Amino acid sequence: MSPSHDPQLLKGVLSLLLLHLLAEQESYGYEVVQRLHELGLADILEGTVYPALARLEREGRVRSRLVSSNAGPARKYYRPTATGYGALAKGTTEWSSLAVIVSRVLSEPVPPEPMKGS
Amino acid sequence: MATAVNWIDRLRIERAVWALDQRLYDLPRKSRIARRREVRESLISASRDIGTSAALQRLGNSRQLAAEYLSAELGDEGRPHWFAAGVFLLTAQLVFTSLLTEAAMAFAEGIATAMPSATGKFEWSGIRYLQDTVQYTFVDGDATWVGGAWTPLAWLLWLTATVVVGRLWRVRPMPLLRRKNPASLNAP
Repeated sequence: MSPSHDPQLLKGVLSLLLLHLLAEQESYGYEVVQRLHELGLADILEGTVYPALARLEREGRVRSRLVSSNAGPARKYYRPTATGYGALAKGTTEWSSLAVIVSRVLSEPVPPEPMKGS
Repeated sequence: MATAVNWIDRLRIERAVWALDQRLYDLPRKSRIARRREVRESLISASRDIGTSAALQRLGNSRQLAAEYLSAELGDEGRPHWFAAGVFLLTAQLVFTSLLTEAAMAFAEGIATAMPSATGKFEWSGIRYLQDTVQYTFVDGDATWVGGAWTPLAWLLWLTATVVVGRLWRVRPMPLLRRKNPASLNAP
């Protein structure tokens, strides 16, 4: 079982993850969720991803098209726009920079927790 | 492993979609339809993969999902609640008109009870500040009446309450803000 993740942390990087996944491969909502789960982010629920896709679409970072499906209703496929690619590049740089700093801080050894009453 | 989706599953999915849709009335119609389709399609796909109960569970609470959708599409700033305003506008008028009519009828019944064969003209000043004077004409205990309309104050209160319930003061600034600075509404 994959470890759980802080929902707030995930929410902060969800747009970036979605842009990256959609840049890799045009996908529909449920497929994106499955891909996130396969990556080990099983905490991310459908109810979080669909509105995030709607937000990206409103912001003009992704565009969608309906593709008919043999398995049921037509599916809405998303892929990044030029603005989306720009946001992905910028977001990736910012995340990498932040991750380096956070990793550096967290890798520093900390003194042992003081004993009670000492 | 793929699971067959039977008609009971479809009903459960439709119920979830309907519950969500009921909370998305503030979205433009086209957008609401798109959201319904997307959620329905996703639930059907998920239902085949993991079963309907798990699919519905993973979708989460419809209230929270609707709030996320509204925030995603309309921005996080305060927005008018058109649906609530519309419901209040109609309901309040029906209820208030019924109340005033009942009050006018009660006065007429009071006269008829006190004087079963009353004949002549009577007047009731109505509910103070909210209703015009009601004039009754009695002929052998049978009453007809005119008046009792809403006063300007009643209309004003009704409209003010509609604005408050629907947060309609937010109507004007939003398009202006969007035109001036689109990025301000796009903050994650």
